[in-house]
Amino acid sequence: MTITEIENRITLYGLISRLMISEVDCEFLKIIEENESLKALLPHYASWDKRDKLSCGELIAQHYDVDYANLFLLHLVPYESFYTKEDQMIQSGGVSPLMSLYNALDFKVELEKARVVSADHLGVELEFMHILCNATKKAFEANDTDGINELAYIQKGFLDDHLLKWAPMFLVNMKKEATTPLYHDGAELALEFLLSDYEYLSSIIKA
Amino acid sequence: MTKKIDIKKPIFLESRRSFLKGTAYTAAGAVLVKGVFETIVDTPAFATEPNVATKGGELSFYPPFANWDSYKELDGDDWKRGGTERNGVRSESNPDGIKENEYMLVPTICNNCEALCGLTAWVEIGDYKKSKDPKDLKVRKYMGNPLHYGSRGRNCAKGYATLSQMYDPDRIPFPLKRADGSKRGEGKWVRTSWDQAMSAIGKKIHDTLKVGDEISKKSIVYHVGRPNESGFGYRIAASLGVDGYGSHTNICSAGARAGTHQYAGTDRNSTDWANSKLIFLQSSHAADAGHYFQAAAGLIADARRKGAKLVVMDPRMSNSAGMADLWVPIWPGTEAALYLHLANRIFNEKDKNGNDLVKHEFVKKWTNWDVLMKDKAHLEFMKSEGIISEVPTGESYEDFIELMKKMYAPFTLEFTAKECRVEARTLEKLFEMFIDAEDKVASFFWRAGTVGHRGGWMNTKAGFFVLTLRGSMAGDKGGISFVDWHEVAVNGKGDAATVAGKKPAKLDVWNELEYPPEMPLCTYDPSFLLPHYLMDDEWRDKWNARGLKIPSKLAVYMPRQYNPVWINPDGFRWIECMKREDKMELTFNLSPTWSETNWYCDYILPVGLSGERHDQHSEPIKPAVFIGFRQPALRVALEKMGWKPKDPTRGTLEAHMASGLGEIWEEVEFWANMMVHYIDPDGSLGARDHWASKEDPTRCVTIAEWYNAAFENLHNLAHEAKHNPKYANSKYPNYEMLRDMGTWLEEKDVYRPQEKELVAHEGIIHAQHMKFDASTMRVDGAIVKAKIHDSEDEKSIGLVMDGKKIEGFRTPSRKLEVFAQFMKDWKWAEYAVPFYPLNQGQRDKMIHLVSQVHHQYMKNDNDFALNTIYRLPYNIHTRSVNSKHLMEISQNHNPIWIATKDATRLGIKREDKIKVTISDTVSGLVSGYFIAMAVPTEGILPGTLACSHHAGRWKLKNSVDIPGFSQPLGVMGLGAPLFDMSMDGTTGTLKPKQGIDKGMLERKDSWQFKEFNKDVDNIWWDGLSGAWQNAVAPCQPDPIAGNHAWHQKVSIELAGEEDTIGDIHVNYANNMKIYQAWRDKLTRPLTSEDKLRRPKHYKRPAWGLTDNAYSFNVTP
Repeated sequence: MTITEIENRITLYGLISRLMISEVDCEFLKIIEENESLKALLPHYASWDKRDKLSCGELIAQHYDVDYANLFLLHLVPYESFYTKEDQMIQSGGVSPLMSLYNALDFKVELEKARVVSADHLGVELEFMHILCNATKKAFEANDTDGINELAYIQKGFLDDHLLKWAPMFLVNMKKEATTPLYHDGAELALEFLLSDYEYLSSIIKA
Repeated sequence: MTKKIDIKKPIFLESRRSFLKGTAYTAAGAVLVKGVFETIVDTPAFATEPNVATKGGELSFYPPFANWDSYKELDGDDWKRGGTERNGVRSESNPDGIKENEYMLVPTICNNCEALCGLTAWVEIGDYKKSKDPKDLKVRKYMGNPLHYGSRGRNCAKGYATLSQMYDPDRIPFPLKRADGSKRGEGKWVRTSWDQAMSAIGKKIHDTLKVGDEISKKSIVYHVGRPNESGFGYRIAASLGVDGYGSHTNICSAGARAGTHQYAGTDRNSTDWANSKLIFLQSSHAADAGHYFQAAAGLIADARRKGAKLVVMDPRMSNSAGMADLWVPIWPGTEAALYLHLANRIFNEKDKNGNDLVKHEFVKKWTNWDVLMKDKAHLEFMKSEGIISEVPTGESYEDFIELMKKMYAPFTLEFTAKECRVEARTLEKLFEMFIDAEDKVASFFWRAGTVGHRGGWMNTKAGFFVLTLRGSMAGDKGGISFVDWHEVAVNGKGDAATVAGKKPAKLDVWNELEYPPEMPLCTYDPSFLLPHYLMDDEWRDKWNARGLKIPSKLAVYMPRQYNPVWINPDGFRWIECMKREDKMELTFNLSPTWSETNWYCDYILPVGLSGERHDQHSEPIKPAVFIGFRQPALRVALEKMGWKPKDPTRGTLEAHMASGLGEIWEEVEFWANMMVHYIDPDGSLGARDHWASKEDPTRCVTIAEWYNAAFENLHNLAHEAKHNPKYANSKYPNYEMLRDMGTWLEEKDVYRPQEKELVAHEGIIHAQHMKFDASTMRVDGAIVKAKIHDSEDEKSIGLVMDGKKIEGFRTPSRKLEVFAQFMKDWKWAEYAVPFYPLNQGQRDKMIHLVSQVHHQYMKNDNDFALNTIYRLPYNIHTRSVNSKHLMEISQNHNPIWIATKDATRLGIKREDKIKVTISDTVSGLVSGYFIAMAVPTEGILPGTLACSHHAGRWKLKNSVDIPGFSQPLGVMGLGAPLFDMSMDGTTGTLKPKQGIDKGMLERKDSWQFKEFNKDVDNIWWDGLSGAWQNAVAPCQPDPIAGNHAWHQKVSIELAGEEDTIGDIHVNYANNMKIYQAWRDKLTRPLTSEDKLRRPKHYKRPAWGLTDNAYSFNVTP
C-alpha cells in the first residue's frame, strides 16, 4: 500500500460519493474540469461539446439537475434497503443495521444535510468509504500497521456486506438510464472502481 | 429517446486495475466530498430498548390492526438523531431522549382526488389521556390504510399532504357571512354562527319551496364539485323534491361517459390493470395523475413487473409516456381514427397461423351486430352518408364481418399516419403490441382525448369497439369490465334509520337549467353553462313562449366543495352572474378553504377535509367490490376514549370545536339538522321525515344510526358485523366495524359479471345492486324484465342466452352496442356505429366528430392546438391550494410546452413570455389571451402546445379583517398570488400584483396552528407559474355529450414588455356569443314532435324521475 494509492482512493470515493449524494454544483464541476486525470475517467463527459457551449448554470439547470432528479429522485431508488429487503421498502425509521454499524464506529449521518431519507443511500455509503480511506491515511502516516490492517478489513467487509450487495445493480441501471455523459460515465466509473477496489483490498489483506 | 453515448466501448474494462496505479488524482477528496457524517463519540449510546414497534431490524410500516387503538412509536426526530440506540427514550431521568408518542390510528379516506385512497389519521392521544383536555388531541400524521383493497396502504403526495391541509395557516375557522350593506365580491366579512346561517338559509329554502309551483322546484341548485362520496348529495335535492343537483362532470369526464353510455349503457369502464399484458392509455391519466391515479398506478406497476407493456397515446410526453414502452404522440382529437385503423387491420388481416384476428366467439355472442344487420333502412342511410359503400343483402354474422371489413378498410396506414400525425412505424409497432397482448389489454377512457374535444365521446366508443374485437371487453382477467359491477353506493341509503323509512320519491319536475332541451343526450348536466342560461333572456323567453317554464333566477345557489368561478370556462361570466342578487338571491358554499367562488358568496360554511367528515365511497379500481369510510379522526378518537357530544346529532362540529380545530362541520350532520330543524320543521314540505330519526323523531338521525342503516345494504358486511364478537352485541354493529376498519371488501375477483345468472333467493333476485321480485320476472323477446322489490317500476335486468337468464350489459339489447340504435331516434343516426370522417367532405358533414383543434383549423404559422387537460400529480383542481408542500413542489411546473422546432421557428426561447390568444373555430370570434412562460421541449408533438389548466389561482385581497377576530384571516396564502382585477360587462382582466412569498411573510402574525407551521417562513416562491386560462376559454359544449370541450385553438407570439406572466385579458361578451354559436349551429334541439325529454333507458343522473317529468310538450 502506498500513499498515492491511499490518496487516490480518498479522491475517487470523494468524487463518486459527491456525484451520487446530491445535485452537482459549479464548484464540483470546476474541480473536474481543472483536473485532467479525473476528466480522463469520464471520457464521454470530456468529449461532450455542450460543456463548452453552455455556462455552468445552464448545464446544471438544463441537463445535470434533470438527470439527477430522474436517476436519484424519481425513477431509480438509490437506497440499499430497496434492493436488499424483501418488500423493497426504504428503511427510513427506527434503527437499521447500517445505522448500527455507523453508531458502532461512532459516526452518525446528518440526513438533513445529505437531504436523503435514510443512511443507506448510495452517496452516503460511498462517503463512508471515503471516511475510512481518510482514516487509513492517518494510520499510514502514524505507521500503525495494525490500524491499516483493521481498516482494510472493515472496508472490505463494508463492501462485502453493503455496497457490493446492491450498488452494482443500481449503477448498471443508472448507466442505462442516464441521459448526460456526466452521470453515464459516473455510473460506469463507480461500478468499475468498486469492483477494482474490492480486488485491491483483497490483495492487501492477503498480503 | 436516442442516446448518443457509445455504451459499447469497454473503456474501463481495460483500465480497471489502473485506478490506483500510475496516476495521482491531485484533487483532495475532502474538497470533493459533501461531508454528511458527524462524529458522535461524545454522545452516549443507550442499551435500553424502547417500547415501540419500530425498533431495530425491520421496519413495519403499519402496526397490526389489533393495536390501532393504542400504538406507541418514537417521534420522527429519532432518525435524525442516530436512531434509538443513541439518546434513548425520553423519560424523567432522560429528558433529552426521543419522545415516545402514543397514537390511535383512525381510518379515513383521502378527499383530494377521485381515487379516494385509504388513510389512517395518527391521532396523538398520550397527552389527552393524562389531561382529558380535547385541545391536547392532535393528528400528527396521515399514512395509508393497509386494509384498503384499492390503495393497499399507499398514497401519493396529496394523501400525505392532508396534515398540512388540516392545519393550514389560513384555515377558515368559523362560518363567515358577507357583511350587511356590502356587495358580493367587496370582500367584507363578519363572523356568524352555524345556527344563524342555517336559520337564514333554511328559511329561504322553506319559503321558496312553500310556493309549491314548478318554478320553485327549479330554483334551488346544490352544485357539487368532485363529490368523493357515493350518493349522499343526490338525496339532498331529492328529499326537497327539487331537480337541482348540479355536478362538475361536464367539465371533467362527460365525453368519456357519453361514449360509454352509447356503447355499453353505463357510466365508465373498470379495468383489471394488474393482470393485463398491455396497458394502452389514451391521454394523461391512470399512471400519471388522472383517474384513480395512485391506486391504478400501483396496479399498473404490478402488471409491468410481471412483463406487461405500457403504451401511452398522448401528444405530450407525460410522466407515464416518459416511462412507457411506446409513446404515441398523436394529434389531439384524432384518437378514433387510430382505433379504427387498428379495427381495419384486425378485420382484414390474419395472425401468423392464418387465423382471424377477430375474436369471433365474443363478438358474435356479445355485440348487437344482428340488430344492425336487420335494420336495412339504417344500412341504406349509412350508404347515403358515404359511411358504407353498399348495403349487404344477407343478415348473418359472416355478412356483418364482411360489412365491417369494407367499412373500415379506408382507415389505412397512410391515412391514419397523416390524419393522426403519428409515424407509420409507431403505428406498426402499436399494432404488433396490441395483437401480442391477446385479450389482456387494459385501458381507461377519460380525460383529454375524451373530454377535450367536440366528438370526444367517439374516441371512447371507437376505443371500446376495437377492444371488443380482441375480446378484451369480456370483463375477464386482465381485461375490461364496467363500473356497475365494481362499485356500490350506499352513502345516501340510510333510509331505514329515518321516520320515512324509504328513499325519497322520484322527482316530478325537469329543470331545463340542468338538462336543456338542446342536448337531450348529454350524459350529465352541463352546469358550466348555468350563468349563461340565467343571463340569456332571449333563450329563456324563446322556450317559455313555447310552453316551458324556465326560471329567470335562482332563489338559492349552494356550491359544495366546488369552485365554479375558477375551474369552469368563461369565469368572468360566473362572477358577473354571482354578483347579481337578482339572479342568485342567496348563495353559500360548503367549503373547507377560501376559493375564488367563495369571494362572491353570501356565506362560507367551513366543512371538513379528509380526516374531518363522514362519507362512504366506492370506486371501480379493480375487479372487486369494496368501500371506504371517511371519518372525522378527532371526533372518532374522542368518542372511543369516552367523550360524548352534548347534541348527538352534532358530534363532529362539537369535537372539532372542543379540540381547537375550529367550527368545522360536515355535510351529513349539517343537512340532517337543516332539514329537520330549519327547512322543514313542521314537515309540510315532505322532507323532514326523510331525515328525522326513527329512534327519536324529535331530532335528526345521528351518524351511527345513518351509517348502520346504510351499511346494512351490503350483505357480507352486515353478516360479518353481526357475527363478529367485537361488534355483535353493539347497537350499531355495521357502523362500529367500519369505524374501526375504514374500509370493507364486499366481494373480490368479480370477473365476466355479465354472464352471471339471474337466480332467485327467497323470492328476490339481486341484480345491479338492487332487489327485484322474482315473481314479476318475465321475458320480452330476449330481454328479461322484473319489478323492483316493493315497487311497481319494471326494469330490464338481463337477457336470455343459451337458454339461461343472465345479467348481460346495461344497454337496451343487454349487449355491447356496436350499433347504438337509439341514436337513430334521437337525431344522430350517422353516429350510431363507430366512425370517423375520412376526408374534407365528411369532416364538413360530420362536424360533430371534428375536434375544434383539428389540424385543418391551423391556418397560420403561429396557430396551435392547446392541450389543457392534464394534472400535475401533486395538484388537484382547486383542492390543494391549502397545502404548503404541494404548492412548493408545484412551482414553475406549469409552463407552456412547445416543440423545439416550433420554438426555433418562432424565435421563442426557454422562459420567454408568450401571449396565447384563444379563438373559436365555430364563430370566428376571439376570446382573449393569457401570458405564459414557454419551455421548448422535444416532449411534445409539433403543432401542439400543452399547459395544464389546473394552475393559476388568484385572490383579490391578501387577508380580511373579521370584526371580533383577533388577527387578520389570510386568504389562500400558500397557493394564490394577489391580483388586480377589472371587469366592465364586456372585458375582464387580471394582472399579478404580489407574490405568495411577500404576501405570506408580511402577515406572519396571522398564521394559525403555529406548531404545525414552523416552516412557513421559508416560503420562497412567488407563485406566478400559471395564468387563469380557464377564464379566457369560452364555453364549448359538445352538442351531443354536453361536456365542455376544453382544448383550444390558439395563436402565439412573444409577449410585450408591458405583459407579465399571469396576465389575462378576456372579451367575455364574445365568449357568450361563442357559447351561443356552439349551441345554435351544432345542437339538434328537441322539437314539438318530441314527446320525451330524453331516452328513458339513457340514465339521467342523479335521481329517478316520473313519467310526467320525462314528458316534453312544446308548441312548434
